[in-house]
Amino acid sequence: MKDISHLLRVAGIFVLVVAGFLVVRHFMVPKSFGEVGHYRADAVDEIRALKQHYSGDAACPACHKGQSQEKAQGGHRGVRCESCHGALQEHVEQPKSVKPGKPKESEMRSFCGRCHEKSLSKPPKFPQQNLKEHNPGIACDQCHPAHKPQ
Amino acid sequence: MNDSYLETLRAALAQVSGFIYPNELELQWSILIVLYPYITGLVAGAFILASLERVFNVKSVKPTYRLSLLVALAFLLIAPLPLQVHLGHPERAFEIFMTPNTSSAMAMFGFVYIWYLMVVLLVEIWLDYRREIVLWSKSETFWPKRLFYKLLTFGVDNISPRSLEIDEKIGRALTVIGLPSAVLLHGYVGFIFGSIKANPWWSTPLMPIIFLFSAMASGIAGVLLFYMFLCWLRDEPIDMPCIDTVAKFFLTALIVAFSLEMLETLQTAYEAEEHFDIIALLVEGKLYFSMIFVQILMGSLTPMFLLGLAQLFDLPEKVRKVFYGASAVLSLVGIFAMRWNVVVGGQFFSKSLRGFTTYKMEFAGREGLLSAIVLAILPLFVLAGLLYLLPPWGERAGKESATS
Ligand code: HEC
Ligand code: HEC
Ligand code: HEC
Ligand code: HEC
Repeated sequence: MKDISHLLRVAGIFVLVVAGFLVVRHFMVPKSFGEVGHYRADAVDEIRALKQHYSGDAACPACHKGQSQEKAQGGHRGVRCESCHGALQEHVEQPKSVKPGKPKESEMRSFCGRCHEKSLSKPPKFPQQNLKEHNPGIACDQCHPAHKPQ
Repeated sequence: MNDSYLETLRAALAQVSGFIYPNELELQWSILIVLYPYITGLVAGAFILASLERVFNVKSVKPTYRLSLLVALAFLLIAPLPLQVHLGHPERAFEIFMTPNTSSAMAMFGFVYIWYLMVVLLVEIWLDYRREIVLWSKSETFWPKRLFYKLLTFGVDNISPRSLEIDEKIGRALTVIGLPSAVLLHGYVGFIFGSIKANPWWSTPLMPIIFLFSAMASGIAGVLLFYMFLCWLRDEPIDMPCIDTVAKFFLTALIVAFSLEMLETLQTAYEAEEHFDIIALLVEGKLYFSMIFVQILMGSLTPMFLLGLAQLFDLPEKVRKVFYGASAVLSLVGIFAMRWNVVVGGQFFSKSLRGFTTYKMEFAGREGLLSAIVLAILPLFVLAGLLYLLPPWGERAGKESATS
């Protein structure tokens, strides 16, 4: 017994460390952890409470019937209003005080080019143009209305 | 987007060849992730060398026994740092212990690490040094050091022959447990890469084994080098039978690691699956220097040749020392290159198998060359501290009077 007392002390320290770990763990692991999966269930509610930035297309027709109808008939029917006008939840809530942006006439070519500049990595069927050659110097919406391009 | 970002993007795009996916432009696993398996490899290798003496009773490597353990400890303490620096959120590291995710190999590794550090390495070193620690706790004149030893005795200064005998037995048992633990520790690193199905350069069940044997080679080379350096520093004669034996094991590990890797490569080449074309381009192109030249010619074949000469012919002591030292340095460099070729090489080619990206290492950034160098040197300082506190050279005067 006397000859293993040093070992017993070390073993004791190990037991203490493990016990200490379990105690710390008890306090550190968030309460709702693991209720639904390997994460904190409360996080779901916290995320839901976050401020929303995008409203989605369904909110627009109530006030912008014209543009919405136009868009629904043209080539941009699959493009969200907010991909061109930016995140607009705030605008939907307070249309008067929060005014959305729209692309400026002078920047129109690079704006439309974001999606339509010719590139090998795009599917060949996607409408694309080499902007250097395609009617240079004239804003795109002079010929292609932005909401109903042809 | 600010201009400097665009500038970097443009410079990076100029280096891309063929077709790659947008998220492949930037290499995510940087030089720090190269360093990490390198350091754990040194740990595993050094420990396996130590267990030769303990488990397999290879008495002639005794002079390196304690040194190997200290080398393993010094590198093990630093091993998680590259990961921490790479991830950049050290405060979160603790959470893999708090809420362990049992289906994640990376997460479970935290426990392998802790097990190996706390249960195997620390206890084994403590048991082996206990007799000296007790003696030092009485004889040491410098008080902080004495206090350190006092604490380490845990208040028991019983060093009766019976208690030492028990220590010896338990130490041996621990080494027996430690051996598979060391294998697990490093095999895991290979496992992480080997199990990435999406990457043909990594995905092979041989990966853990290849990593393991190269780890043994690097660990043995490291200890050999430290041993020779320390002898020189302390003006002590090098124990030739000892390093002759170490060199023998070193050669064995090198041969096994090298042949396994070549077998694997041969198999890939012969199977020539659809990914082979891009791998051939990778090896002939971006990895030509670091793989063909540094890893294979310089880091494997040359040391094998030198060590082989020392085995085959009766070379004079001086020449052997030079050969051993040179082989150790070369294979340490070569094995670093091997880690590089695996980690960085595997990210060079696109998942589309149609193009290559590039790796532009930062110099001073968080994941830059500078922090890699600092992290690589840090274990040496830890080792110096350990050598100061627990000098390994007292032992021959101590418990074993028989010098074999
Ligand atoms: C509650 C009604 C309402 C809703 C919903 C609404 N808007 Fe508006 N929007 C307005 C009003 C009113 C203005 C004019 C503000 C002004 O000129 O001061 C406006 C202005 C705009 C403008 C700027 C017109 C310009 O000439 O500068 C854009 C673009 C716009 N809205 C887009 C949208 C989009 C896209 C949505 C759907 C996400 C949307 N709006 C939802 C009421 C609304
Ligand atoms: C492809 C990009 C694009 C999409 C998608 C888009 N817009 Fe526009 N929008 C523009 C551009 C460009 C302008 C300004 C110049 C113009 O009218 O041609 C504009 C202008 C407007 C204006 C200001 C009045 C006007 O006609 O000049 C309103 C309001 C508007 N958009 C609402 C909408 C709504 C609502 C939607 C979704 C139903 C939508 N936009 C979708 C590009 C787009
Ligand atoms: C967010 C990306 C995006 C932006 C910005 C955008 N477009 Fe488009 N555009 C599309 C998509 C998507 C289509 C539909 C492609 C398809 O049918 O496969 C399209 C279709 C078109 C077409 C072909 C329509 C047809 O019926 O074949 C034209 C012309 C066009 N856009 C012009 C423009 C112009 C002009 C602008 C600038 C005002 C613009 N686009 C901005 C995404 C965009
Ligand atoms: C002067 C008028 C004019 C201007 C300005 C102009 N386009 Fe066009 N665009 C046309 C005509 C006409 C066509 C159809 C014939 C063709 O393919 O050249 C066309 C075709 C296209 C198409 C192919 C449509 C499809 O269905 O495949 C796209 C995309 C397009 N334009 C985008 C743009 C963009 C983006 C800009 C601005 C950078 C722009 N255009 C400026 C006249 C114009």
